[in-house]
Amino acid sequence: MNKCIFLFLGCIIFGISRAAAADPEPSAITNLTVSGAQKIIKWTPFPATKSYSILSGTNISGPWATNNSGTMTGFKWTGTSSVPQTFYKVQLSPLSSNELLTATVLNRLAYGPTPSDLERILTGPSPIGPDAYIAEQLAPETITETVQNSHTNINIIQAKFAGPTNVVVGNTNYATIDDLRAWHVLRAVGSKRQLLEVLLQFWENHFVTQYSKSDDYFDQFYDDSATEQRLAAQFEYLENDRWRNALLNPACTFYDLLRISAESPAMILYLDTVTSKGNGGNIANENYARELLELFTFGVDNGYNQNDIVVMSRLWTGWTLQIVSPTNASNRFAPRCTDLRASSIAVGATNLTTVSNLAGVWAFNYNAASHDTTRAKILFTNAVVSARFGAPYTTKLYGTNTVPGRYTFGLPTARPGTNGIQDGYDIINFLADMPFTQEYISVKLCRLFVSDDFPNPSSDTNFAAYAFYDYAGGNLTPEAQLVRDCMSAWESSSPKGNIRAVLSTIFNSDLFRGHGASMQKIKTPLEYTVSALRALRVTTNGTSLPNSYSADTDGFNLVKSIGNSPGLPSPLNRMGSMSLFDRIAPDGYPEDAPYWISAGTLAERVRFVTSLSIAVGQAGHTGTSETSTNDAGNNTYCSPALLIQTKLSATSRTNAASVVDYLMGVIYPGEGAGNLNEVRTAAINFLNSGSADATPNSNPFGSASVPFSLSATSPYDIRLRGVVGYLLSLQRFHEQ
Amino acid sequence: MQHFNIMTRRGFFDRSMKLGLGVALATLTDIPFVLKRALAEGSIGLNRKKLLFIFLRFGNDGLNSVIPIEDPVYALNRPKLAIPKSGTAPQDYYSTATGLMDDYSAMAGFPTEAIRGGNGFAALHPSLKYLAPVHNDGDLALIHRVGYPKQSRSHFSSQIYWENGNPNNNVSKDGIFYRTLIESGLANTNPLTGVSIQSSLPLLLRGSDAAMTNLSDPNRFRLLGIPNNTAGQLKVTNNIVAANSFSAVDKENRELLSLQYENLNSALNLFAQGIDFSETGNTFQDSVAGPTNGYHLFPTAAAKNTNNVVDSGAYTFFKSLKAAAQILNKTDAIIAGTELGGFDTHSNQIINSTSLGTYNVFDGDHAKLSKRIAWAIYGLRKYFQLYADKATWNNVVVVTLSEFGRTSAENSTFGTDHAEAGAMFVAGGSVKGRGKAGRTTGIMGCHPGDNYNGQSVGWIKGTTGKTGSMFGVSSAYLKRSIDYRSVLGELIRDHLGATQAQLNRIIPAYAVAGQKLQNGGVTTNSTTDKTDGTTIAGEVDIV
Repeated sequence: MNKCIFLFLGCIIFGISRAAAADPEPSAITNLTVSGAQKIIKWTPFPATKSYSILSGTNISGPWATNNSGTMTGFKWTGTSSVPQTFYKVQLSPLSSNELLTATVLNRLAYGPTPSDLERILTGPSPIGPDAYIAEQLAPETITETVQNSHTNINIIQAKFAGPTNVVVGNTNYATIDDLRAWHVLRAVGSKRQLLEVLLQFWENHFVTQYSKSDDYFDQFYDDSATEQRLAAQFEYLENDRWRNALLNPACTFYDLLRISAESPAMILYLDTVTSKGNGGNIANENYARELLELFTFGVDNGYNQNDIVVMSRLWTGWTLQIVSPTNASNRFAPRCTDLRASSIAVGATNLTTVSNLAGVWAFNYNAASHDTTRAKILFTNAVVSARFGAPYTTKLYGTNTVPGRYTFGLPTARPGTNGIQDGYDIINFLADMPFTQEYISVKLCRLFVSDDFPNPSSDTNFAAYAFYDYAGGNLTPEAQLVRDCMSAWESSSPKGNIRAVLSTIFNSDLFRGHGASMQKIKTPLEYTVSALRALRVTTNGTSLPNSYSADTDGFNLVKSIGNSPGLPSPLNRMGSMSLFDRIAPDGYPEDAPYWISAGTLAERVRFVTSLSIAVGQAGHTGTSETSTNDAGNNTYCSPALLIQTKLSATSRTNAASVVDYLMGVIYPGEGAGNLNEVRTAAINFLNSGSADATPNSNPFGSASVPFSLSATSPYDIRLRGVVGYLLSLQRFHEQ
Repeated sequence: MQHFNIMTRRGFFDRSMKLGLGVALATLTDIPFVLKRALAEGSIGLNRKKLLFIFLRFGNDGLNSVIPIEDPVYALNRPKLAIPKSGTAPQDYYSTATGLMDDYSAMAGFPTEAIRGGNGFAALHPSLKYLAPVHNDGDLALIHRVGYPKQSRSHFSSQIYWENGNPNNNVSKDGIFYRTLIESGLANTNPLTGVSIQSSLPLLLRGSDAAMTNLSDPNRFRLLGIPNNTAGQLKVTNNIVAANSFSAVDKENRELLSLQYENLNSALNLFAQGIDFSETGNTFQDSVAGPTNGYHLFPTAAAKNTNNVVDSGAYTFFKSLKAAAQILNKTDAIIAGTELGGFDTHSNQIINSTSLGTYNVFDGDHAKLSKRIAWAIYGLRKYFQLYADKATWNNVVVVTLSEFGRTSAENSTFGTDHAEAGAMFVAGGSVKGRGKAGRTTGIMGCHPGDNYNGQSVGWIKGTTGKTGSMFGVSSAYLKRSIDYRSVLGELIRDHLGATQAQLNRIIPAYAVAGQKLQNGGVTTNSTTDKTDGTTIAGEVDIV
């Protein structure tokens, strides 16, 4: 009877007493079953593995030789051996650290890899390596942006944006929210400054404002929905544009971004500051003060109490909106506009109190008369920075406090006249670099770039998060340690809170660079749709000009509904109501999976990538009415055959294995081919199966009956599109 | 299904520590989904009880739906909009013997007078005539004067508060039905638990730890093929299904993805084989020998709008409603629903002819919409009685929601404006309407004097001008006597099967004594609790 012995590869690497965050155990054989001459070996998988091999030998001390007599399916090897007393071991060849890091970098700092990016960073003749890519993305002002040359819509829409001095009222040439969304999406798809685009979406989603609420607000002044919509869209554009310019500056800090948000008319309106009054008997509205602490700076229950919210709400009274003359667009104390619209004059509508008669711009305006000047403005009374923060946060002096760690903050109850506006600036200046803010913002950035295993911090000792982020107590998980490192970078930059310094800390961390981050997050609908396009997108004639791409979109298809009202909702809406610039709740779209992944949303995601893979004009990718089956839209398309023609040699193009290997390399760069061998086998079989050809057959892919062809009705093209749709619709593609 | 090494998966909270802190199931986000049901309390989703919601968007005029016809200030303040009393036997409005509503189902068309509600005080808008048989059989509760403290009259805000179950409170950012489904522990393990059929998922069903399903069109629950024909669809579907059993390295989200791909598979099979959403499949008809014998229960096209029980603009709504009903009936979904818009009748609430002074009070936007509501409730009842599969009429409750009622006095443009308290309709085989629990009527909250049918907080009739309950708030709005959270709370606990502890988490105000949601009384007058000193009835014992 054959006797076989299990042999485990190496020993378990577990050098530290707490659970290792990033290093999983290496593969070990878990069982070996024997049935006559047949041997079945199973082992535990290892992340990011290029290949597994089974080695065998007759002597436990060697020599070992690769055993090619078996077949591998998943993590199971089935082979035959009639030699008694054979030893087996499993050996794996992992992705190199550069390969692993490149995949993570392109999935987090960018909206997913493109074939060109992979060549430039990793596989091409002179690859720059992922660290060089990170360095250049951290300094977007050093990258020459070319996206505006890749699709005509970008410049067309750009020309429609209303700047702060443009009078939008009555002018339908200005951008709508659909324009802004399409532009945002187009930049996500094609921008060279990918990290900048990722960050803009992040800050937009952090400092949440809501287009619909602005639209609703203007309803009281105008009867003209076109004007209301364009004004609301302008509000969203303006804050976005200011953040963009701020982030292009190497010295950009969190305070800069926070200040832009506080001054943004969209925000003043969204959280009801616009109508908040504190003069006389009026009680200020707490909405902005609450969310400023709870969502934008400190985080829930992290260093403040209800009383602080009540007091802080007084500081914001008077921050409101006013329609002012365009020349006064940046004057916070400007009076109401007194210029009449030409169209109003023409009909004798000259009443200056009727807003719709005025040719002005809506801007942040300070109304001293509404400001609270009678109630005390002392916050965080006797509050001390939580002990868990440790030095220097618990030992330094804050503001005018003389006790280390105490952060009581007080302002004069009544500043004269318009000086009261300074209350708002003073408080955000104070909040911006408090340890709670440093911590919460770092947590959110770590969640965006590393994984979702960063719980919300809390300074309430009753919550488990207190212990998790107990920096003074030691024994930190790698996640908590990374947050602490980010805080150190924040604290030591000058001025404090340099965004790039914090990001560098994250990108240099072991967590980010290893298995702790790789493939551990889920794509939001925006990331899913954009990454599907990017994975298939190369310029087919080397020009990078419009219409030269093997995959493209007009932007609108992803964000606008089609057909008659209500119409078929846009892909982003169908996949979970991801309405850009229009989130109802101030907490922003979540990063984590359960919010986005259900049977219903999966159906929509899979339908989208399938429709995308079908040629435009063919069933499943055609039609303009709300009942048509056109999930991707007529101007959102790919041509896998063009991609293959551009990137593969003539012989490789007709080889099923080469084609599948190439596609899997761009669609799943971080998983490792060894961990996807079942997918690979299925994909090759898919290409060779003619069951869905016009006449079902068994002619192999690339054979004389299925020659290379760009024609949308050829079996080659259809099968190729089929395998692309298949690969994009698997579980793995939802991950980043 | 792949084996995941659950116990060694990287988790940052010790589970026993969390349970020791008594942290609610809803906050345990990192334990394996398959364990969540085991840790849940109550019987939500395990007792076959279901809920179908219809959100009436933009403020349904409760006062012209369930009409306080014996309140003199009703007609006084609605000279054009008031529905007239019956001309033939006005004294019958004082008859309370049987509590039966006048049933005009046998009448071709709709009556031109208010329908006597049977409790001596209230009447129905004639367009609601099909509610009468449901009411008379004891399956309908018409609850009036429903609102919440410090009510907002902004569509925006008030809809949010109705949907998140936390009025005037920025703390919760998820939906009341979402929280209910999370408490069941089934939210991620079953393919469909909460489903809406409308353009996007309403806040009612939204939350961060589980993605409920919204289908803008149930026919979308089908995969495309490449090419998109039968052979192509088969090739694609077979391959995607086969891929579900491929092995994978363990990563953060793979358990969830695996689960949900299986759920997707189950739901696709269910929809493909078990449910016909198509127009030709809409063969649900009333079969009781009687006035509506053979009528289509869901008018989704002109051919199915027997005798114009609804207007032609209703077909889209009934398509969605039918899909929601079919999903409850054929799957294990617990809560499903849709919405109906158009209730913001600032003008054209009644039809105004071009010559001033002549108008048709029985037609107009509100009348049209009321016909849809009534036939919807009637049709749903018959559907779950005659075609029951996984959902029987006794196990289903249909509930309407609307963010506020409308001004008691009409405006100058043949309409009404935003107000506060409004009406809720609750229907179901287990609803305690007329003839059950000793009740002589299913109308609640619209009766003069306390202790009528065991109800407290009577309606104070006005005398002249703007007086009485109808003008109880700011001399303009109907004053509430019931909190909508009491209605929904009772349904979530006594119908769906939540424990009281679960309900206190789903509707946090239940645990606040000053809110009086359960047992009624005078709410505290408190800015922190956001209450206003109004007397409310608490739960009204409807299931």
